Amino acid sequence: MARVGVVVFPGSCDEADALGAANRTPGLSAEYLWHGDAGLNGVEAVVIPGGFSYGDYLRPGAIARFSPVMDAVAAFAREGGPVLGICNGFQVLCEAGLLPGALLPNAGLRFVCRQVPLTVERSDTQWTAACEPGEKLSIPVKHSVGRYFAPPQMLDELEANGQVVVRYVAGHAFNGAAREIAGVSNHAGNVVGLMPHPEHAVDPLTGSADGLKLFESAALVAA
Amino acid sequence: VHVGRLIELDLDSDGQDAKAQVEQMCERLLANPLIESYEVQPAPGEAS
Repeated sequence: MARVGVVVFPGSCDEADALGAANRTPGLSAEYLWHGDAGLNGVEAVVIPGGFSYGDYLRPGAIARFSPVMDAVAAFAREGGPVLGICNGFQVLCEAGLLPGALLPNAGLRFVCRQVPLTVERSDTQWTAACEPGEKLSIPVKHSVGRYFAPPQMLDELEANGQVVVRYVAGHAFNGAAREIAGVSNHAGNVVGLMPHPEHAVDPLTGSADGLKLFESAALVAA
Repeated sequence: VHVGRLIELDLDSDGQDAKAQVEQMCERLLANPLIESYEVQPAPGEAS
């Protein structure tokens, strides 16, 4: 049983679903990690959940990177430990310099909450290993600051290095994301961040169970 | 759309020390250099 730690900041709001998604995945058992703790309690994977860490003052994710737990997350990531950032967690990882790029306000300047189709571009990261290359996933988004941005040269490097992990299916990049990017990884592929919420897509009753694929990937890699 | 923000800081230090401190604050927290630019000005009438 691989232990997954879900980091809780003041203002996080999707930690319960992230914990639940990991716990309903065979081979994973999840626990919370507190932002003020300097360690990761020996977990084998880390999820930074969605929400509004520290009220998202200044910029989304900007303050969370200075919390004690993030030093431990950065060290864990450098050693190749699997880290997944979802929505605000993606913003936190970008602000912390653990992932390239930044998230800007949606092109329409509005909060958007809807199911979106995604294409898995890389099925060899620690969080997409259970997916087929090119697999389509239906996963909800809910954000107002989710337009992926990086300078053109950095985008070219990301594409060349295979760091674009998931894209919105053509015509569904509602937020205006650069090159329809929904999620990226670090160079090593162990740190992944995405705006859509896989932890909200874990039961066909509520639209889709495709999000479980990411958690199943973590179980697969840990096994 | 262009949105800016004004941040006023009172520092104990002044001159080059203060400038270096503020530059560091901007790079690490107050601005994300990838998506934001910033400008530092000593307040008029204060020690520069």
